[in-house]
Amino acid sequence: MNKLNYDGLLVLEQPFIKVPLEQLKKTAKVSQKELDKEFTKSNLTVSDLTNKINQGKIGVSDASTALEGMVGRLQSLKRKLNDTKVEEAMYVSRSKQRLSHLNELTHIPSANSEAYTQWSRVRLDRILVDYMLREGFSETALHLAKAESIEAYVDVELFSQARRVEQALQRFSCTEALRWCNDNKSNLRKMQSTFEFNLRLQEFIELIRAGKKSESIAYAKKNLNSFQENHMKEIQQAMTLLAFQPNTKCPPYKKLYDKSRWDALIAQFRADNFALNSLTSQPLLTVTLQAGLSALKTPMCSQPDNRNINCPVCSPDTLGLLAQNLPLSHHVNSTIVCRLSGEIIDEDNPPMSLPNGYVYSLKALEEMSSKNNGQIKCPRTEKVYDFKDLKKVFIS
Amino acid sequence: MDSISKEFSKVEKKQQEVADSTIDNIDKIINEIQEAQKRLETDPVSAGAILKELELKFKELTTKTLESHKELQKVIIRYEKIVDKKWKNDITIASNPEVFANKEKVLNTTVALHFIREGRFELANTFIREAQLDIPNTIQTQFHEMYQILGDIKLEKLEPAIEWARTKSKELEKRGSTLEFELHRQRYVQLLIDNRREEALVYAKKKFPLFHSRHIFDIKRLMCALAFSNRLSTSPYKDLLSPDLWIELQNKFMRDFCNLLGMSSESPLYISVTVGATALPTILKMATIMKEKKNEWSQQDELPVEVPLPDYMRYHSIFACPVSKEQSTEKNPPMMLPCGHVICHESLNKLSRGNSFQPF
Ligand SMILES: [Zn+2]
Repeated sequence: MNKLNYDGLLVLEQPFIKVPLEQLKKTAKVSQKELDKEFTKSNLTVSDLTNKINQGKIGVSDASTALEGMVGRLQSLKRKLNDTKVEEAMYVSRSKQRLSHLNELTHIPSANSEAYTQWSRVRLDRILVDYMLREGFSETALHLAKAESIEAYVDVELFSQARRVEQALQRFSCTEALRWCNDNKSNLRKMQSTFEFNLRLQEFIELIRAGKKSESIAYAKKNLNSFQENHMKEIQQAMTLLAFQPNTKCPPYKKLYDKSRWDALIAQFRADNFALNSLTSQPLLTVTLQAGLSALKTPMCSQPDNRNINCPVCSPDTLGLLAQNLPLSHHVNSTIVCRLSGEIIDEDNPPMSLPNGYVYSLKALEEMSSKNNGQIKCPRTEKVYDFKDLKKVFIS
Repeated sequence: MDSISKEFSKVEKKQQEVADSTIDNIDKIINEIQEAQKRLETDPVSAGAILKELELKFKELTTKTLESHKELQKVIIRYEKIVDKKWKNDITIASNPEVFANKEKVLNTTVALHFIREGRFELANTFIREAQLDIPNTIQTQFHEMYQILGDIKLEKLEPAIEWARTKSKELEKRGSTLEFELHRQRYVQLLIDNRREEALVYAKKKFPLFHSRHIFDIKRLMCALAFSNRLSTSPYKDLLSPDLWIELQNKFMRDFCNLLGMSSESPLYISVTVGATALPTILKMATIMKEKKNEWSQQDELPVEVPLPDYMRYHSIFACPVSKEQSTEKNPPMMLPCGHVICHESLNKLSRGNSFQPF
């Protein structure tokens, strides 16, 4: 039991490794695109110049000016690439630090070691930063990441970008979100995301709400028609909205005017953004807590008499409440925990029954009787018995 | 992990290489253009040839750069493939958002209490403010006191801890704690180490009688150690010098302090998440199987499989009946047979009726 199951423990670490990898991939793609674009253009310019000068269409000074322009463009390309290369290097270094953190785990020999406790504490802090970032407690997240020097282990920038988009949506503005869609066009298409369509639809609805009829029609022509293939029905319904006032009671149109659509947009953005960046849809804190609480939960946890203050599920106001709707743990074999010593009762420390039926471990009873002239006081009933009245119990 | 690290080191190397060569190549291209411009000026008649030459050079350099970039993407994809092979499953099917629905406040309070009990007060306050939580100040004050005393113990300054234990003497004794005696013992040993024998003796006379009944054996040993105070480290009592005793004292103090507050000695959030990380593969497997049958693992009354726990994380007795293999409950308690064997009530009923047995 004290041996660590490395593969098992690593299951949780999927986003830890995948997130910087996804970002590295994205950044590398950006530099590739920039290069491709600029080089193709410049290549064309040079061959064009060669042709034109051979045909006598332009003079030497024209060619020189054109070349000057190219130098300028290449220099700005260089600056841009310098930036993306710095970004790439950051994700590489982040991946490296994270991999080596996971490698550290695989060199920890046992669950009982101080090293594992330390490692697990860092894991909990990582998980908590992830939770804080998702819940929008960014000040706490930064504070925690900084205090524990785990900045490389958490994805603060990713969430602060997302935060900007979300805040704009809360202000009923799609601008930031549309820019985000544009930056992630091909991946969103791969995911078959409907987010961009919903944003466009919302902007259209808002134009109608504001009474800008002709503008809204122009907007639909420009921005909605391209979605016809997959969203024909919705577009038709939206166009019909032109005939209804914002205070309409007619169900489908009332729904289109409903401001709660903005909350749905935020939720959709979050889901798409998490998926796009290989973040889990639920915070790791709830994933691990639900598994952990269920594994710890016993029928005794809800019985005040059997409460153990060291048991997380036994805290009635905090983790006990969270565990309320989770399954109980399952055990094939009996484990008897001695109420006197808190130790597990086994062959080396067998269970002994008092005449009143309560069972404690031999070791704990021996210790008690040695201090009390061979007498045992049952902590639950306060009755006093002689050590010789104890009876061995067989549990198997 | 090894194969992932190996694939990753290729990415690392390539990224550096490509970054350097790309910038380098752009510089070279710029150079070539500027070179061509100069030649155009001095030799305008050969303009066609100069530009043709530039065109070829340009093509060569840009193709090279783009190709090395594609190489980088290839290594990244290879790394991604091996990462995806290691992490195939979506772990979120192991969690059900419904279970914690409307319990954000409880969860946040749990986290804030975790920070407080770990002594991270500033962080706790940041969080309490940001999450608008309502946590009584007394808890912070109490843990503040604990960490202050603990800090002193770490500096081998025992007086504050001794004073605290004195005021809690009765409660500690009721819980069977030996902390107060051990603090006095440690203070006494400190005096011995300093070779302040007279003071040690006075201290012993003043403090130890209180613990006579519970610790007579230890007290006898401590008094005997007095005879070796000038060479304790080579005496039969050298165990009294062990630095482990200090660590033990710190742990006992924290445990007792928390227990008197009605709290566990280890952060419950830490325990739960640590167990959760260990349990996740089992839960995940189960969740996947249940999902196929359109069931949700978190809605069961009991997990269908056992998640092994280390001994120190087993907080309650579990009785699994050797006859029915079922876990006992309040309605189906374990019963002891006259021979000392224990089976659950239902099994007992099936085996025989009419006999009376002791409840367990
Ligand atoms: Zn419990």
